[in-house]
Amino acid sequence: MTDAALTSNALEVRDLSRTFGARKALDGVDFDLPTGAFLSIFGPNGAGKSTLLKVLSTLTPPSKGSAKVLGLDVVEGAVELRERIGFISHNPLLYPDLSAEENLEFFAEIYCIDRPKERIRELLDAVELDHRRLDLVRTFSRGMLQRLSIARALLHDPALIYLDEPYSGLDPHAMDILDGLIERVREGRTFVMVSHDLSKGLELCSHALILSKGRIVLFQDKDLIDEDEFHQTYRSTVGLGVS
Amino acid sequence: MSSWRQFKAILKKDIVMELRTKEMLTSMGLYALLVLVVYYITLSQAGADFEVRRIAAGLLWLVFIFTSLLGLNRSLVHEKDQGCLEALLISPTDRPVIFFGKAVGNLIFLLIVEALIVPLFFFIFLARPGAQAGGPVWMLALALILGSIGIAGVGTLLATMSVNTKGKDFILAVLFIPIMFPLLLAVVAGSAAVLQADPEYVRTFWQMMGLAAGYDVIMLLAAFGLYEFVLGA
Amino acid sequence: MKQLRTAIVLVAIGGLLTTAAFLMAFFTAEVQQFGTVTLEQEVDTVFPVAPDQFQPPAGEGIAYVRPWFSQKIFYFHVPVAEASFLVLIISAVFAIRFLTSKRAEFDTKSRIAMETALVFVVLTMITGVLWTRASWGVWWEWEPRLTTYFIMMLMMIAYFVLRNSIEEEERRATYAAVFAVVAAINAPISFMITRVIPSNHPVVFQPGMASSNLLPFIIGQIGMLMIGYGIYTARMTEERLRERVEIAKEALEG
Repeated sequence: MTDAALTSNALEVRDLSRTFGARKALDGVDFDLPTGAFLSIFGPNGAGKSTLLKVLSTLTPPSKGSAKVLGLDVVEGAVELRERIGFISHNPLLYPDLSAEENLEFFAEIYCIDRPKERIRELLDAVELDHRRLDLVRTFSRGMLQRLSIARALLHDPALIYLDEPYSGLDPHAMDILDGLIERVREGRTFVMVSHDLSKGLELCSHALILSKGRIVLFQDKDLIDEDEFHQTYRSTVGLGVS
Repeated sequence: MSSWRQFKAILKKDIVMELRTKEMLTSMGLYALLVLVVYYITLSQAGADFEVRRIAAGLLWLVFIFTSLLGLNRSLVHEKDQGCLEALLISPTDRPVIFFGKAVGNLIFLLIVEALIVPLFFFIFLARPGAQAGGPVWMLALALILGSIGIAGVGTLLATMSVNTKGKDFILAVLFIPIMFPLLLAVVAGSAAVLQADPEYVRTFWQMMGLAAGYDVIMLLAAFGLYEFVLGA
Repeated sequence: MKQLRTAIVLVAIGGLLTTAAFLMAFFTAEVQQFGTVTLEQEVDTVFPVAPDQFQPPAGEGIAYVRPWFSQKIFYFHVPVAEASFLVLIISAVFAIRFLTSKRAEFDTKSRIAMETALVFVVLTMITGVLWTRASWGVWWEWEPRLTTYFIMMLMMIAYFVLRNSIEEEERRATYAAVFAVVAAINAPISFMITRVIPSNHPVVFQPGMASSNLLPFIIGQIGMLMIGYGIYTARMTEERLRERVEIAKEALEG
């Protein structure tokens, strides 16, 4: 048994496959991601990006192989792992008929957070929504929703955060705010982002991964990436995926 | 104990949301009133000597089964629309807690609608001068509770599936009514026994309540066991 | 292809057996003293009425003023009904195996078993309706067992409606499996609950059923199960071929 805290890799994915009948959503995916890294996953539609995210976030078990997140197996350690991961999606994952504060209170109860009031105050301050805390989420703009959804994801102070197309549907201003927020909470956390937006993904990441047809086409440290070559690889996989 | 806290949170959230929007209660209540109007039309040509009491139990449960479809659908659409169910699944909440949280919420709303409709139904259709008296009210209440438990439990399972399909409302009805058949038969027979209060009705009533309770136990266990698979898909 | 041949052989033998049972019912089986059938009123039928010795004792309902001819359908109706029940249970067992293993083959098996069950339930309904017409003089009677089969048919149709309304394969398979299990639990409960309420359906298995009746019945039952298994195997073969075509297609494209 290795102690979870001592493992230096946030993700250890071994020969991970996810199949259903003849269809292979993931086919022998294998990589390590060090703690504190920012991984961007690219790939055409149907490449297996969301399936990979689902497996890593304990929503679907792998058919073959294994995945360890923060040193915990996604199947056996699922319950413990869920306490330590956060999730930000293009969907806000908030109840429109509850106020900002009530939404956070609800998720604070779900995560069994001690002293929820203070934590919620602190987070609402951080995402600059304190003045709107009593308003219904229904009335929020897209950018405000995304900020509140970040606050929700940070409630339980997760060590790893998944981002599923967080930029889709945001205007440039909201994008900047989101960038700033991610930058601020990046310290000490690992990020895994699925994105269509190549430039945004490359700008933020420390590691890049291209998936196509459930296989890894490229997995590289950002420092080693030659951008032109990277774009070319990406274009060729997208081309392949479309046929 | 964390499960209890999560259960309370889910229930409280549903109640707060409902009290704010009154979406489910108004739609269910209004729908029930509309059905009562249709009942009036149905019975208007039956003649003066037609005893409504003989079919009252069936009419009553017909309102509830269709209004409950409405409520169940709403309740799960709330979770589905903004992807909130996903947020719950990724949190350290046991799947059964989600099931019971949603099912108990649905049960409460259903019972509220029933508590409003039953007296109304009674005054509109049954309170005639010279009409024979039925059995005690608590018996009818027991039948309603046992029926509603089954509706809420199985309904929550089936509605969780149907919100993820094309044509959710229709699919829910198609799945729900055949599965509800044995329970409906038992509670209608039980409620009819109480309303008609024929001699020996107490025996029939308890027999039917036994069947309804048996159905509830078996189906709740099944729904409880299967819910995790539905959520995982 | 071997499986397809097996399927054809099974259906052929099954067909022969059920036909044999049906003929035996006419030529060798005695007329069975069925349980008392109580009707509100007598109904005229075109068929000959059962002889006096097969009528229930006077005063126990107006039972068999019905044609004795009508009970011949029993040798077809009951085997088909029992087979449909059995296949539904098999479908649910495959569904559970699918849920625990998440392997697509069990989903296919469960689905095809459900198809077979639906065919049998529809046959049960048709023979049942013929029976009620011949025996009780009405086309449809909300009689518990017929009602149960009606419900079973609705559940099976619902199963396929559910399947058709979901795009994503794995979700479709999971939901269908969950519903198959619920349906299989529900069917016997419906059966039991409808029995508690007084019924008109004849109860056939009284102790001491004559061997001349039992034999065609058992032959009919075996034949029916073979037909069921034959249909199932044939459909499975077709499904496997389809899958192979899909894989080949994908390989060509990729």
